[in-house]
Amino acid sequence: MSVAAPPTHAAAQAVAATKIYGSGDTAVRALDAIDVSFEQGRFTAIMGPSGSGKSTLMHCMAGLDRVTDGQVLIGETDLSSLSERDLTLLRRDNVGFVFQAYNLIPTLNAIENIMLPMDLAGSKGDTAWIDEVVGATGLGDRLKHRPSELSGGQQQRVAVARALAGKPQVIFADEPTGNVDLNTGAEILGFIRNAVDEMGQTVVMVTHDAVAASFADRVVFLVDGKIVDELADPTPERIRAHMNQLGA
Amino acid sequence: MLRLGIKSLLAHKVRFALTASTIIIGVAFVVAAFVTADSLRSGFDELAEDINTGTDYTVRGELSFGDITEAVAPAVPADLVDDIAAVEGVEIAAGGLFVDGVIPVDGNGEAVTTFGPPTAGSNWLEDESLSQFYLIDGRWPVGVGEFAIDVTTYGDDSYDFELGGTYLVVTPTGPREFTLTGTAQFGFPENAGVGAIFSLFDTPTAQEVLGYPGEFNQIAARAEAGADIDEVRSRIEAVLPDGVEVITADDAVEEFSDATETFIGPFQTILLVFAFIVLFVSTFIISNTFNIVLGQRVRELSLLRAVGATPQQVRRSVLTESAIIGVVASVVGLGLGMLGALGLKALFNTLGASLPEGSLPLTLRTVAWAVVVGVGFTVVASLVPAIKASRITPVAGLAEGAGSDEGASLGWKRLASGGLLLAIGLVLTGLGLFADFDGATPQLSTLGAGAAITFVAVSILSPLVARSVVSLLARPLAWIMPISGRLARANAARNPRRTSATAVALTIGLALVTMVSIVGQSLKVSFVDRFASAINADFVVSVNTQAGLPKTLSSDIRAAGIGTPVGFDFDLVQIEIDGDNSQPATTVIETTLTAARISDLDAVVNLDVSQGSLEGFDPGTGLLIHSDVAADEGLAPGDSVDLTFVSGDRVTATVAATFEGTAFWSNWIIDSALYEQVATSAFDDIVLVRAAIDDPEAARAAIDGVMADYPQAQLEDRQEFQDSVESNLNTVLVLVNVFLGFALLIALVGIVNTLTLSVFERIREIGLLRAVGMTRRQMRRMIRWEAAAVALYGAVVGVVLGGMFGIATAVAIPDDIIDTVSIPAAQLVIFLVVSVVFGLIAALFPAFRASRMNVLDAIADE
Repeated sequence: MSVAAPPTHAAAQAVAATKIYGSGDTAVRALDAIDVSFEQGRFTAIMGPSGSGKSTLMHCMAGLDRVTDGQVLIGETDLSSLSERDLTLLRRDNVGFVFQAYNLIPTLNAIENIMLPMDLAGSKGDTAWIDEVVGATGLGDRLKHRPSELSGGQQQRVAVARALAGKPQVIFADEPTGNVDLNTGAEILGFIRNAVDEMGQTVVMVTHDAVAASFADRVVFLVDGKIVDELADPTPERIRAHMNQLGA
Repeated sequence: MLRLGIKSLLAHKVRFALTASTIIIGVAFVVAAFVTADSLRSGFDELAEDINTGTDYTVRGELSFGDITEAVAPAVPADLVDDIAAVEGVEIAAGGLFVDGVIPVDGNGEAVTTFGPPTAGSNWLEDESLSQFYLIDGRWPVGVGEFAIDVTTYGDDSYDFELGGTYLVVTPTGPREFTLTGTAQFGFPENAGVGAIFSLFDTPTAQEVLGYPGEFNQIAARAEAGADIDEVRSRIEAVLPDGVEVITADDAVEEFSDATETFIGPFQTILLVFAFIVLFVSTFIISNTFNIVLGQRVRELSLLRAVGATPQQVRRSVLTESAIIGVVASVVGLGLGMLGALGLKALFNTLGASLPEGSLPLTLRTVAWAVVVGVGFTVVASLVPAIKASRITPVAGLAEGAGSDEGASLGWKRLASGGLLLAIGLVLTGLGLFADFDGATPQLSTLGAGAAITFVAVSILSPLVARSVVSLLARPLAWIMPISGRLARANAARNPRRTSATAVALTIGLALVTMVSIVGQSLKVSFVDRFASAINADFVVSVNTQAGLPKTLSSDIRAAGIGTPVGFDFDLVQIEIDGDNSQPATTVIETTLTAARISDLDAVVNLDVSQGSLEGFDPGTGLLIHSDVAADEGLAPGDSVDLTFVSGDRVTATVAATFEGTAFWSNWIIDSALYEQVATSAFDDIVLVRAAIDDPEAARAAIDGVMADYPQAQLEDRQEFQDSVESNLNTVLVLVNVFLGFALLIALVGIVNTLTLSVFERIREIGLLRAVGMTRRQMRRMIRWEAAAVALYGAVVGVVLGGMFGIATAVAIPDDIIDTVSIPAAQLVIFLVVSVVFGLIAALFPAFRASRMNVLDAIADE
């Protein structure tokens, strides 16, 4: 199926995106013709119970995995048309990542980790912008430290800084606060919120934590590979109420 | 626990195969060594028995010392044949001649030569089982002017012989023409004379042309049926004059085996030494692999401990796993070794060795060695990892970062134990090189043990410096390839223990290759220097066959007025030196004597006389000695010594002068006039010519003209001769390096193994790099250059270590062999470059695996 991409200001969008694992009787429909759009300069949270397909959606949108059917676009680019190599270059130049853990290369120090995508591209990046991002991490004199010499919160701030440094179209974050305590989590989410508000970045975050999701501008709810609901200007209480409604 | 071991092996087939392959190569070497040697032994034994069938006794001249060879066979009087035939119990006796250095020339003028086996002349006998020559085609030659050749040479398509044709045959008494009347077979048909070439004559002709007028060099006899072999033997002994002995067929077979063992034994030992080197290197690889794998299995092992496995059970499961690898490797290695033995024999036959046909005997001893070596080395290699595994606690798996031994402590203990071993290793090596030993075996064993201990010490100490040295060596990578290079460098340096263990195989291989190169280069340079200063001759005539050049060649050149030829002949001699006041006892030395025409010596060589003079040299009694030997033995011009030759003749000689020059001649020189009186050989080993003709081309043409009668001889000018000796040396060096190359092959496998496991271990990191935009090409490049950095580290340590060993060895070798230590710098740089290439090649598979790794699997795990 080929659908012409609708004109949009979305940083990333999915059109009838379907992902099927396996085949025949054992086939699992992880994403079921999802249509979703992530607008520029907004912070969106994707929520849903385990197995709802939220991680699959994120991987497909970020170009880490391919949809079985439908379209995924980053900016104007249709990911399904890209070769493996072009997909890699797109991730390098247009997408930022923050994972739950193992975000950093242990043999590189903090600033080298932040510069990694630019180094891979062989470019210097936008120096003024990078200075701003690096300054925002508040790492100061710890920039030359290896990841093992940084706290969990510092490590995740470096990871967010790396995601920001290349000025990507969109940043995908997969449970970025899943591995840290509450205070550190709030500090990281504040840093991300700041990136959206002050730096105009677009962030899509997968989480199952209502408090974390409440930092977003909008929450999208996923159940059984379908978007079932969404919520603007969420608070933890409203999110929990919605979750309960969905019977998750 | 056994099932667990097997399952774990089957789950990782590639790793299993790679680990086993290193031991397989070692076992195959061991098996090939034994099987090839056994096959040669049984082939030669069979041959010896065959050719002695029908002959119960051989009567021959006795040598006062040394071994009887075809080239050195003293004469026995012809009338002794009748005396022996008359002995009670002897059925028949006949005189035989067997002389090496008889060379037929085919219709195209090509000389029939071999590399090693004799080119012999002999006489045929009516009683074929007594002579072991059986007529195949035509008829036996009769009278002067007729000969027969062996059927193998006749049937060889590369030579042109026809019955009835007339051919030149080079004999000790000079070249002559003979008509070919028949072909014959030596021994039983299946043996085909193991590559020996025979020209056969009737008895009177043989006596004449082989240089034994009225004499034989052996008498064959057969006992009457039913006679007591030993009794008849004593009766024969009773009629023999002094200097003649009788041996039975059994003695002859045994002598033959002993003679063949003198080259089969060393051949077997050399292969076993290479096998040991390969196995030694493999031990490091296997130990390293087990270490990494067990590190990665910490979670699994601690779970086992948690559910009730004892430390002993854990240890046993690791050892079981390694024993299984050892058994499989032994079996596969056994098969591969048999193939290797086949290949070796084929290789030697292609090189012209003509080894006897025969099966490849797989003895119980060979199988036992294969299993002991295969299982033994594998289990020993896994001992330390097994003990470490048994110390894993039940909670170890819960700890963060379990499974990686990065940043493990590199403390004083390591420094102390490594330093101590290094000291022991170096002391043993030094002793092996410089101390006086009783024979080569204890000396080489000490040297070998010293080197092995030094290598172990280096492997212990290496992690202490690996991080900084690798970082330094790999620094250019970070400049050339900003990110892949920087990560490759960091990865190579991140785990110094693993890097060291991976590199040590390459270190050992390269240390040995470097050592051989330095010693070889020094040998070449020393030789070239010495040769250039010691030889004045314009031309050198030499020959491939063992027998040498007939002495007539030299006299023919002289007679033709081309220049001054000097023939050199080498022979064994015993020298008795009377004691002096400080050391009254008489010393006896057995050494090589050189015979040459002293009056012409100046024309062809620069002897560099230091004491005394060649003026008024008495050819009948004069002796020249190398000044070092003269000093060692306390001899000076005017002193007398007694010489005993293999013929038993004794001569008192007087030292006329001492000399400094060395080249191909030995430390003791007499005049050929004296030697001819006592000689057992009618051959020169080499002839040097000082041309009287100024134009080199004309001189060469003139000598070529004389040499038409000696087609086996080859003529070289001084430069060509020097080059060909150098190229022979190079061939040996290349052969040694090819065998050492197997150690480098093991090193390659080691890098593949470690890197594959490291890639698996760093799966998340690789996933992350791919996620943030590292292309597959950048990924492969990063892994390739990590391997190159590790390889370069191993190579640099190896070249430094091998350089020290090589220089020490070159210094330790006596000055008359190596007097200039020379380091082939360009070659060493090539070794380093080749090692880097090795690393890049070894990384192909792991790099491919890493670049194909599914990004999602890598990051989305858990």
